[in-house]
Amino acid sequence: MSSGIALAPKVPRNLKATAIVSVALVAACAVSSLFFPWHANRGPGLVFGFLAAFLFAFEMLYPWRRRLASRFLNTARNWLQAHVYLGVITLVSVFIHAGFRWPTGALGWSLMMLSVWTTLTGLLGVWLQKWIPSALADGLTVEVLYERIPAILDKLRTEAETLVENSSDRLKRFYDREARQSMGSVSGSWGYLFNVAAGRERALEKFRRMSQFVDPSEQDRVEDLMTIYTEKLELDAQYSLQSILRRWQVLHVPAAGLLIGLLVVHIAVWIVY
Amino acid sequence: MSAIDRAELARRHEQRLKLLVPAAVEELKGLSLFSGLPEKARDKILEKIRQYVHWVEFGPGDIVLRQGDYSDSAFFIVSGTVEVQANLKSQERFAVPRLRSTATGAAPRELRPRSSIAGMVGKGQKTFILADVAIEDTPDSRVLMQEGEVFGEVAALSRYAVGATVKSVGTTRLLQLRLPGLRMLMKTSKEFQKFVDDRYRRRTLSSHLRNVDLFSKVDARFLKEMQERAELLSFEPGQIIVDEGTEADAFYLVRGGYVRVSVRAGVTDLVVTYLRKGEYVGETALLMNLDWPFTLQAMEYVELVKISKEDFRRLLAVAPDVEDKLWNDGVAQLKARGSVMRDPISSEYLQMAAETGLIHGESVLLIDLATCTRCDDCVRACAETHGGTPRFVREGYKYRNWLIPSACYQCTDPVCMTNCPTGAITREVGTLEVTINEETCIGCSNCAKSCPWDNIVMIETGEVRTDGKAVEVASKCDLCISRPEGPACVQMCPQGATIRINFKDIDRVSTTLR
Repeated sequence: MSSGIALAPKVPRNLKATAIVSVALVAACAVSSLFFPWHANRGPGLVFGFLAAFLFAFEMLYPWRRRLASRFLNTARNWLQAHVYLGVITLVSVFIHAGFRWPTGALGWSLMMLSVWTTLTGLLGVWLQKWIPSALADGLTVEVLYERIPAILDKLRTEAETLVENSSDRLKRFYDREARQSMGSVSGSWGYLFNVAAGRERALEKFRRMSQFVDPSEQDRVEDLMTIYTEKLELDAQYSLQSILRRWQVLHVPAAGLLIGLLVVHIAVWIVY
Repeated sequence: MSAIDRAELARRHEQRLKLLVPAAVEELKGLSLFSGLPEKARDKILEKIRQYVHWVEFGPGDIVLRQGDYSDSAFFIVSGTVEVQANLKSQERFAVPRLRSTATGAAPRELRPRSSIAGMVGKGQKTFILADVAIEDTPDSRVLMQEGEVFGEVAALSRYAVGATVKSVGTTRLLQLRLPGLRMLMKTSKEFQKFVDDRYRRRTLSSHLRNVDLFSKVDARFLKEMQERAELLSFEPGQIIVDEGTEADAFYLVRGGYVRVSVRAGVTDLVVTYLRKGEYVGETALLMNLDWPFTLQAMEYVELVKISKEDFRRLLAVAPDVEDKLWNDGVAQLKARGSVMRDPISSEYLQMAAETGLIHGESVLLIDLATCTRCDDCVRACAETHGGTPRFVREGYKYRNWLIPSACYQCTDPVCMTNCPTGAITREVGTLEVTINEETCIGCSNCAKSCPWDNIVMIETGEVRTDGKAVEVASKCDLCISRPEGPACVQMCPQGATIRINFKDIDRVSTTLR
């Protein structure tokens, strides 16, 4: 539990080890296939099946690690690392178990599909968890709790409306036309995933242009309005990206649950028949 | 039902507050404490001081100061007697030598994290607990103080933990001088300043010096001489102590406050480090016969011990084995200087830490926003450890990619501890964690109001007081003291984005925040 763990959080610590283990497993499979005809339910093929089943079982422990084991068995970070990298090794083991052939039966086909899907969505999650925090931290000045976004937006709207209340009709009309509706609710967009400041310049350009047409005494007010609107756009980005961070698991978790269910059936079928 | 009656504690506190009476100038005039004030300006000065001065009365057995607590007040005994008692048993537990009449301060102790979690909470720094009350070597280690005597001034001025418990014997009337009043009095009364300096010199300086590596092996006679010859200096916030490029004429030991060490670069100053109590500066220039390579500036009220160049040289002559250590320290300081000159950005972190108060923290919680997935597992883990109520929220000051949430910094000088009426907020001698005993907290919110960083909040317990109001207790991060694995927020972060850091650990600060 050294403090050094936290010093370089972005370095993929176990990538090399995972690659080496995967290559070693494939090599072991290649060597053993020289001596035995490959069968998923016999000899080395069966051994890899057991390995994959054991690893799947370990992977399923992750959701319960907070309550069950993490406190006593190392840090949550190490658990997550194990979940990710062993997940990749599990998929390699599944491929080897199947002898790098596409299964023929419906159950085998489903298991293979679900294994690939679960692993890929898991890796997508890893990518999102690396990409989004970086984008939020580097591209936005506002940092906010997801649950508080609606309340903060309400506050911003009140602030903007108070500002506009005592202004000229021209500015009022501009606010009504260009900002009022947008200030009313959070607007999520997938675009923020690729550019955290997407659409910002275009939206703010209207304020810049407007500031040329108002009385000099009102220019500060337009500036303030623009600042409020910028914060609103940042809240939109925060909302969109934090939503993705929370919801990507919908792609991963149900499939993983189904996979485990089918795996139990697969093992039962193997035992019975 | 709890064995401790919180309502009774609250009632006693309210009663005590009623006894806390502001002092009038006329009443103060006759006290010997103010006899050193210049006659002509006396009324004016007393008028200024009186806003920080109260009469206070204690009954038999009442505790005025508690050993290990932090206090912001000195006390003058107007009538009655107090008993000063050092709990030697608890000190023995921390291997503190017995107090002797010649060296009446308890030996200094370092603040240190539990060894099992040291890596998770940031390393502790040399911060000491010194006694400021004279205790003779009597079998029961008690001493009585009578009318006209003063106690508590060293702990208040240098923000060391109180070295002994002070109890009222019978009914005792005291004059409580809060820190600003105490400083004002020292500034205006040469007699009082001399009295405080002499007391510090006599009772505390030797143990303070002894704790500095430099003096640890020096023989007692030399130390005694140094004790007499050292100059005691005070500086106000912002005051320049020494200027870069001027002739180095002394070695300085910090006994209270924070000193900013900086170098000139272009039109600005670059912060190299900060010094706090127990730390020293000046050896580099003296050893190498250089001018001051740094500017030293008081960041707040600073108390220093100044040892002249000549005495420093004599010290090297009588204790040659310390020279190697000094050379190493000197080289390290010059290296740090060179490092900020080459990479001025690293100085920004220290500047930010000073501006935001983070340098006061022994273990500051930081979240790397570029890694944090906003899953809130840290807050949930905190809540689970503390009966469902988290001790921080993932909101706070943002510096670059780092979030500094509102979790207790475990300050070197916990000002939250200075005004707790029941001693519910404590830091065990020699440990890092400042904790609140919920059983004895009466919800007065003094600690929450004292915390400059708003890191203590009041939470409702669900109980209702007799007057119908909800019972509240103070709540703050305690570094998960009940958890052997260390702070849950750090251990349970799946991304490793949560860290604890001490901003004095400059190497780690600049590698981490980069």
